[in-house]
Amino acid sequence: MTPAITQPIAWLDGPFWPYLALLLFAVLPTEIWRWLAVAFSRRLDANSPALEWVRAVATALLAGIVAKLIISPPGALAAVPLALRVAALAVTLAIMLVDRRRVMLAVLAGEATLIAGAWWILRV
Amino acid sequence: MALAGMRDALSLPAWVVGLGLIGVGSLARDVGYPVEVAVLSTMLVWAGPSQVIFFASIATGAAWSAIAIAIGFASLRFLPMTVAILPLLKRPGQSVWMELLLAHYVAVTAWTEGLRRLPAVPPPQRVAYFLGFANTCMATSSIGTFLGYYLIGALPIPFAAGLMCLTPIFFLASLSAGLRHRGDVAAILLGLALAPVCDRFIGGGFDLIVAGLIAGTIAFALRPKKAAP
Repeated sequence: MTPAITQPIAWLDGPFWPYLALLLFAVLPTEIWRWLAVAFSRRLDANSPALEWVRAVATALLAGIVAKLIISPPGALAAVPLALRVAALAVTLAIMLVDRRRVMLAVLAGEATLIAGAWWILRV
Repeated sequence: MALAGMRDALSLPAWVVGLGLIGVGSLARDVGYPVEVAVLSTMLVWAGPSQVIFFASIATGAAWSAIAIAIGFASLRFLPMTVAILPLLKRPGQSVWMELLLAHYVAVTAWTEGLRRLPAVPPPQRVAYFLGFANTCMATSSIGTFLGYYLIGALPIPFAAGLMCLTPIFFLASLSAGLRHRGDVAAILLGLALAPVCDRFIGGGFDLIVAGLIAGTIAFALRPKKAAP
C-alpha cells in the first residue's frame, strides 16, 4: 500500500499543474539563493559565521536526504533489503573518509556492493 | 575555450552527474508527472537534491509548503557557493543578466570542478570555459533524466535498484569530497543519524528541515575555531 501522492492545489489545477508545481515549489526555492548571491556578492563574505552555519545546515540536510532515500527508498530500490542498502552506503562513506579524492572509486564500490548483493539475494 | 570546458566535462564529471540524474527521471514517472517536467526539472532546477526532494516528497504526500521549505533549505548552500565562485568569473562591464546566467549553473559538480580548474584559465576566457563545461554536464544530465524516465522500469531489479541508489551514493560521495574539518564530518554523520529519527516523530514533511537544523547547528558549534588573524 503506497501513500497517496501530494494532490494539486485545487484552484490552480489543470493540464499544466505539473509545470506550475515545478516552477513554484522546486525552481523558485532553489534559484532564489543563486539570485540573492548575485545581488549580495559584493557585500557577503563567504567565510562569515552566518554562512558557515548555513553551510553546516545544508550539509546535514543533504546527509538527511541520503538517509531517507536509503531507509524508505523510492521505486526499485525498495526491493533490496535494508541491510544491503546500508552496506552499500557504508562502503562509499568508508572509502571517502580514507581518501576524499576518490569520488569515482567510492561511487563505483558502493554501486558494485549493491548490485552484486541484490543479484545474489534476488536470484532465488 | 568553450571546447576545452566541454572536453574537461566529458573526461568524467558530466558522465557522473548524467548517471546520477537517471533516478530523478524514474522518480518523476512514479508520481505520474510527464517526461517534459522531469527533463525541465534538470535544466531549470539544476540541483539533484532539490529534484529528488520534489518528486520523492510528492510520492509520500507531503504538503506543498513543506516541500518548498525543504527545497529552500537544501538549496541555501547555493548562496555561499555562488558567492565563492562568482569572483572567478567576473569581468569588467559584465551585465547582471550574465551573472544571473552563470549563477544558474552553480551546483555541486560545476562548482567543485570550477573552483579547482578556473584559476588556471586566463580570466578573459573563463566565462566561455565555464559555460562549455556546465552546459555539457547539463546536456548529459538531461539525457540521463530522459532515459531514466523510460528505462528504469525495463531493467532487471538489481540494475534498476543500482541506478536508483546512485543518487544517495553520489550525494554522499560529493558531500564527503568537500569535507574540510570535523564540523563537516559531524554535519554529515548527525544528518544521517537524525533524519530517520525525525522521520518517525515529526510529520507533514517537516522532519527533514528539523533534522537539518539540529544536526547543522550542533556541527556548527563543533567546528574548529579559526586561527587568530
